[in-house]
Amino acid sequence: MTTATLSRWNRFRESFLWYSFKRDKVAIASFIVLLLMVFAAVFAPLFAPTNPYDLAQIDIMNSELPPVGMSGADPAFPLGTDAQGRDMLSTILYGTRVSLLIGFGAVVLQAALGILFGLLAGYMGGKVDSILMRIADVQLSFSTLMVAIIVGAVFKASFGNLMFGEIAIYMLIFIIGVAEWPQIARTVRASVLAEKKKEYVDAAKVMGFRTNRIMFRHILPNTLSPIFVIATVQIANAIISEAALSFLGLGMPETQPSLGSLIKSGFDYIQSGSWWITLIPGLVLVVLVLVINLLGDWLRDVMNPRLYKG
Amino acid sequence: MKNDTPLLEVKNLDVRFAVRGGDLTALRGISFSLDKGERLGLVGESGAGKSVAAFSILNLIARPGYIAGGQILLEGKDLAAMSERELRKIRGNRIAMIFQDPMMTLNPVLTIGTQMVEAIKAHRRISTKAARDIALDKLRKVQIPSPEKRLDQYPHELSGGMRQRVIIAIALLLDPEIIVADEPTTALDVTIQAEIMALLLDLCEQENVALMLITHDLGVVSQVTQRMLVMYSGRIIEQGPTREIINDAQHPYTQGLINALPQMGEPGARLFQIPGSMPSLKNVPTGCPFHPRCDFATDQCRQAMPDYVRSGNVDVACYEVSNLIEQEKRMQEAGS
Amino acid sequence: MTSPLVEIRGLEKRFDLSGSLLEQITFKGGRFQRKQEAVHAINGVDLQVQRGEALCVVGESGCGKSTVARTVMGLLSPSAGEVHYDGKRIDNLKGRDVLPYRRKMQMIFQNPYASLNPRMTIQQTLEEPIQFHRPELSRDEVRSKVHEVMESVGIDPDWGSRFGHEFSGGQRQRIAIARALAVDPEFIVADEPISALDVSIQAQVLNLLMEAQETRNLTYLFITHDLAVVEHFGTRVAVMYLGRVCELADTKTLFAEPRHPYTQALLSAIPKLEDDRPNYIRLQGEVPTPVNLPSGCVFHGRCPYANDRCRQQIPQLIATDSGTQVACHAVEEGRL
Repeated sequence: MTTATLSRWNRFRESFLWYSFKRDKVAIASFIVLLLMVFAAVFAPLFAPTNPYDLAQIDIMNSELPPVGMSGADPAFPLGTDAQGRDMLSTILYGTRVSLLIGFGAVVLQAALGILFGLLAGYMGGKVDSILMRIADVQLSFSTLMVAIIVGAVFKASFGNLMFGEIAIYMLIFIIGVAEWPQIARTVRASVLAEKKKEYVDAAKVMGFRTNRIMFRHILPNTLSPIFVIATVQIANAIISEAALSFLGLGMPETQPSLGSLIKSGFDYIQSGSWWITLIPGLVLVVLVLVINLLGDWLRDVMNPRLYKG
Repeated sequence: MKNDTPLLEVKNLDVRFAVRGGDLTALRGISFSLDKGERLGLVGESGAGKSVAAFSILNLIARPGYIAGGQILLEGKDLAAMSERELRKIRGNRIAMIFQDPMMTLNPVLTIGTQMVEAIKAHRRISTKAARDIALDKLRKVQIPSPEKRLDQYPHELSGGMRQRVIIAIALLLDPEIIVADEPTTALDVTIQAEIMALLLDLCEQENVALMLITHDLGVVSQVTQRMLVMYSGRIIEQGPTREIINDAQHPYTQGLINALPQMGEPGARLFQIPGSMPSLKNVPTGCPFHPRCDFATDQCRQAMPDYVRSGNVDVACYEVSNLIEQEKRMQEAGS
Repeated sequence: MTSPLVEIRGLEKRFDLSGSLLEQITFKGGRFQRKQEAVHAINGVDLQVQRGEALCVVGESGCGKSTVARTVMGLLSPSAGEVHYDGKRIDNLKGRDVLPYRRKMQMIFQNPYASLNPRMTIQQTLEEPIQFHRPELSRDEVRSKVHEVMESVGIDPDWGSRFGHEFSGGQRQRIAIARALAVDPEFIVADEPISALDVSIQAQVLNLLMEAQETRNLTYLFITHDLAVVEHFGTRVAVMYLGRVCELADTKTLFAEPRHPYTQALLSAIPKLEDDRPNYIRLQGEVPTPVNLPSGCVFHGRCPYANDRCRQQIPQLIATDSGTQVACHAVEEGRL
């Protein structure tokens, strides 16, 4: 090789990750769809025809209009309107934003807790390991739903319904994040156990580096690949959890709908023939979760060292 | 069978690996032969292609590797052109293989006896009782203490040296004509290695089995084999009688390998060292693959791979050697 | 005689196998029993490393040689015994008190593929220890130090931005040596530093280690299983068997006149280029497990000279007239 230094971009271009991405049509398609959805959601205020949070823009007279292409449709509302007269396209864009925010937020929280506890348990071993892993077992034996019901009830009781609307997002991030950290902690712990036996860790110890430095600077970067895979899948799981909680009325209030609460709000009107209020956000949710999972699968295949060498 | 056809003859064998960005040539134009009862050493460093060579003899190259050209003739029949079915009749039966890691051959959840009986019954139609007797007989041959007990033991109950003995017994089960041993003692301690090597040598002599020994250890090759091949970067660069090569190596790489051994140097003094390291298959240099590390390299070496020349009983692929030989010839002609 | 740089006194190390209290309790024959098992990796080792020498510790797998290395470096804490550096006890130091010794004592590991952090560039790998131990240096001074140390091990300093996996095994081992040298140590523990490398690369790395010893006035504790390397590299040799030193001598004396029966067997098992056949002293039996140590001399089960005293009494290292220290009743009694 002639160039001694390669830029990060060049390194990436030469990496196996990029190579297998280029060859995997499913991964490319999933990535594009996800990118579009994230883009549309992040810039929802620019794309959405109306602001569903702004009560002044909503006219109850427009309620339950069908999507374009059906009789009685209004071209101003391409995907129809819901029971309160909100434009479905706008609410879905904003709803996707809320769902994605909760999904990412919850996974960031999960990862922070999981990495910290996983590193500690794996590196320290012994009693620290036993205690942390038993806590994780206990945590996993509560279902997310049960935690949500209890925490939600406590929040609602202590903050009141109005305040609750404002903090619901954080509450959901907290609930889903706390409920699922053991997944990540276990993965991290397993890779730390494998990594800490390697000689570069001994070399760092021999240098006299302190435990924190060895854990975070030397071991942690080498456990990131599996975390990455799990985190991707966990985003999809978090979005589903949020949708499920919202559907049960434990999640986002209807004034700030997420995809889950949109599905729920439309569910009451399916009987009266307004299927689009439920079905369209449902489809968006399915596509969103599907592409994230497909990307997760692809990542797992690429980063699994056994497959990598095979 | 005519007497002059060798038992195994490999002719111009090319093996390639299909990877992203094109094919990698793992073996290039490998030719050698193995006579009945002969012991042949295959020496090289990691990445030289010696294990690929061993696997290709049994046509066991796994994808993405494939045999791109050449022949592997077992008594005149080409293994490279055979179907899986025909190959299965030869593997383990006429050609047996011993791996570095005994656990590649042994299944950890079956007893030694079960595995040996299975191996026999895959090739011969005999009763389990008879197969067990053969197994017992082979275990005795490899001098395992209390062989009857071993039949009912699991591989993990045996020590490393004992496992390698079992592997040798399994290799002998069907009275093969050739044993291919890929670094059979590398994972073992020196004292055990010496025992296993001595055992392998004795058995091959007693049963008149040809042995192809793949190793990086020149000491072992010199003790066990009659002829040897030296491989570098997928090519055979020198082959001939072991004694002759060890005492008077022709190729600069072989010379370097021998001189770099600590036992060759004066204690405390610097060892002879070959600069650099073997190129990876991805960027094999043009011409003679050894030229970037060679003290004698000329432009000729950089341009084309040298052909084999004969010096004594040794075949060498090196311009330095062939030029010297030609020079001598010319001087002789001028003198006469 | 000058005081030794490193001194190991009565070192013992056990690894507990039995797990937590609950796992130790078994129900046997109608009563609960507490069963504790441990691997006795080192059982009373005394060694002195003199300034400027290379003390080689040789033995087969499981003899405890690596455990000695790791205990000296503080990677393991001894079950009993003491480690002294330059007259001061260091095995019981905690926290900040250890740091000065971390600079003076460094270690080189066996596996160059695992000893470099895969997520750090070479520059980062080499800079970190210098910055950590000498925070007074400016960035430029650190850089020039890294530059210098890379040059001294024969790695092009322009390659600093590459990662470990972009280098060959030999180059990686050079980088690992550079990391150890970066903090200007006096004493280096090398744990099988060349056994994972190819023959031609081994010579390069051995030469590099000898060069570093001369230019930097280093003292080595060199752990290896390869006696040929010891003969070339070591000032003195300690032969270990099952966690005990059985012979300690000057390299020359040991190779010329091995006294302990185990040393004799070990020496005879090295495959030599001159040999036509494996030519070795055959030991009976297998190495016992370090879980249930034999009584008396640990070698008695395999020793051709063992008698009742050997089976009961543990032999101590005793100096002989040639200066060799041997732990053997037969040598002491003049039977051997």
